[in-house]
Amino acid sequence: LNLLEPITTTETVSRRTWGSISDHLRLEHDVSTPGPELTTSDFSEVINLNKSQPLYVEYEAILSGETGNSIEKNIALGSAVKIELSCRLADKYSSMKILRVTWKKGNETIKHINKTENSWSIQLTISENRKLGSYTCTVEGEKEFSVVFLPQIEGREKPVISYEGDSAILICKSHSYTPIAWTWYMTNGSEQIAINDSLMLDKYVIDKADPNVTHLKILKLTKEDDGAYWCEAAFELGRSKGKLKLSILTLMVPLKPFLAIVAEVVILITIIFVFELYSKKKEKRA
Amino acid sequence: PHIDAGPVASPPDGGWGWVVVFGAFISIGFAYAFPKGIAIFYKEIQDFFDTSYSEIAWVSSIMLATTYGAGPISSILVNRYGSRPVVILGGLLCGIGMVSAAFCTSILQLYICVGFITGLGLALNLQPSVIIIGRYFLKRRPIANGLAMAGSPVMLCTLAPLNQFLFDNYGWRGSFLILGAILLHCCVAGALFRPISAGKASVKTQSIEEGKEVLKDVSKDAIEMDSPTNIPKETKTEEEEEKGCCEKVNKYLDFSLFKHRGFLIYLIGNVLMFLGFFAPIVFLAPYAKHIGIDEYSAAFLLSILAIVDMIARPITGIIANSKWVRPRIQYFFSFSIAFNGACHLLCPLASGYTGLVIYSVFFGLAFGMVCAMLFETLMDLVGGTRFTSAVGLVTIAECCTILLGPPIGGMLIDTFGDYKYMFIKCGAVMVLAGTFLFIMNYYNYHMVAKEEKKRTAKEEDPKPVRTENKGRNNWNKEHVQDGPELEPLREEQERLKKEANGT
Repeated sequence: LNLLEPITTTETVSRRTWGSISDHLRLEHDVSTPGPELTTSDFSEVINLNKSQPLYVEYEAILSGETGNSIEKNIALGSAVKIELSCRLADKYSSMKILRVTWKKGNETIKHINKTENSWSIQLTISENRKLGSYTCTVEGEKEFSVVFLPQIEGREKPVISYEGDSAILICKSHSYTPIAWTWYMTNGSEQIAINDSLMLDKYVIDKADPNVTHLKILKLTKEDDGAYWCEAAFELGRSKGKLKLSILTLMVPLKPFLAIVAEVVILITIIFVFELYSKKKEKRA
Repeated sequence: PHIDAGPVASPPDGGWGWVVVFGAFISIGFAYAFPKGIAIFYKEIQDFFDTSYSEIAWVSSIMLATTYGAGPISSILVNRYGSRPVVILGGLLCGIGMVSAAFCTSILQLYICVGFITGLGLALNLQPSVIIIGRYFLKRRPIANGLAMAGSPVMLCTLAPLNQFLFDNYGWRGSFLILGAILLHCCVAGALFRPISAGKASVKTQSIEEGKEVLKDVSKDAIEMDSPTNIPKETKTEEEEEKGCCEKVNKYLDFSLFKHRGFLIYLIGNVLMFLGFFAPIVFLAPYAKHIGIDEYSAAFLLSILAIVDMIARPITGIIANSKWVRPRIQYFFSFSIAFNGACHLLCPLASGYTGLVIYSVFFGLAFGMVCAMLFETLMDLVGGTRFTSAVGLVTIAECCTILLGPPIGGMLIDTFGDYKYMFIKCGAVMVLAGTFLFIMNYYNYHMVAKEEKKRTAKEEDPKPVRTENKGRNNWNKEHVQDGPELEPLREEQERLKKEANGT
């Protein structure tokens, strides 16, 4: 999952610009396969989830033709928001004659485009799932602009390692947005089975202390518990998943290097003492 | 001049000594770097046991406190058994501590296994390593100290990625198990610490030696009190029983050091210095993040610090060994402490990443300079033989301020919301400590020179010994002022001459 990870600002209207970026943005409700990483250093997000006054956010893409024909951007939304998307040509094109600029949602053309000197923008109010989608800004058929996604759920890239008989804790965090509910899934073969902690109290414990964070504690680990786990967060506008991998090892695994190192230490010490005795004998003879 | 006849601990200044330096490098490296290195595991352990960050941080604090606080125990054991068995025992304790930590089921057990047992093991590593350098080196001791102390940054740079690798592959439990095995290398380092009286390897001889040296030290103490009638004590035979319980206690841990002027100066200055010594390192990365630098660049600052530190320590050792600096090494030490303090005072002026990089470079340099000479100056003041007890007493006193430093800094940061007060506090404390040491050592050098003159005037030696003395005095005159550290060497040689002459 790759989302714009905004930094908080205090303004309620924030203007964001980014240069030509060729990350692929897909607008989907359920993003289950991670995409490429986005660099998000120049983004700010205002986290002001006030339902009566939806957030107003502007996004602007500068088209400079450097990265080829399309620029795509992922924008993460957690709740209802007013959004303005604008498409601006880089200065070097300002003298170029622009014949046509169109904004489309999917395949539908959007009629109300605000045009300023070199930029074309549309305003949207995203208040429900339907409005999420891919919005395209086409300039002479060249540039594309996609919008939307879901808030990032942070899982972990590296597997959590634990041992048989021990317990493990899997943690998922949601940055910026507070989910309404969390669900955990376990992969069995190719299926995903929801984990119900009230059914198997001595095996799974789900901790809900902090709404932004969820803990899944798995007790009495066995080899079968090895595999991928998913934590899913439900938001107003959709759901988002994070993936975690749990690796179960036996005690033999670290024991081998341990014994190897101990053997090495013993050998070294023996060599040192033998060498010392030998050089003392040499000295005595000399 | 080396006198091989008889069980005399005259420092060889080379040969096997460099192997000992290597062993001390490893031992000291583990002792200083290990508490910092295992911080990588804390996040995971914190989640596992469901505790707060400060509860986990106690593990490091307990470890550090034990390493410094168990100094006197280390000193007593070394006084009794010599460095080698103590270091081997220390290595075993560390190994046992970490292996048992791998099977812990509560945070309290972690405190005991990682904090207490491993900390004790590291204490039994640190002090003897430093002590044995004093036994093996005299003329080249600053270099040896600088090289051995360089172990700390090198080990830290090695342990950090190693710990990360272990953690990614074995989880925290497996990593602790393997780290236990790695810590056993301290035993290997200990095996290298051959007792100095080569050829007479019996422990009994060694303790007799040490008994003699203690007698000499007691008499040297009396000399400093300006009572020349005690000089004949040097010629007492070694079998004579030490009278009084004070002297018996002093055999294990030399409390008479508290009457030693140089020792007291060092103690007060260092205890003050440690109040501001470690806090900036602890808060450098958080400060960088606070002013907007990203996490990796902030971590890189610490790497820069470690690399500069690594290079600075041996170089400081070489500089401190040069004939211009060695006699005035105390001034050099005070200067480096004050320099360190000045760096901290200027840090708030550093703006942006470049400024912080420059600060890290200078901080690494100053930190390395101070650490390289930390034990060298103490040896210089009290002499190689009493150093064993001195180091134990000093570390337990420093233990308090070392532990207090970062929390006080943290408190300042939390109260004012700004890091600059912490830097100002650390800088001010260190500049104060440096100045104090500078002034007091000037006074000390002055007093030592006065006493020296009085003593050579009052000595009544038979002629051959006196000419020998004069010969040695010529060599000593290369150093403008004689630290008391050269006293044992001269006195031993005097005594041996007397024995040889049949007195």
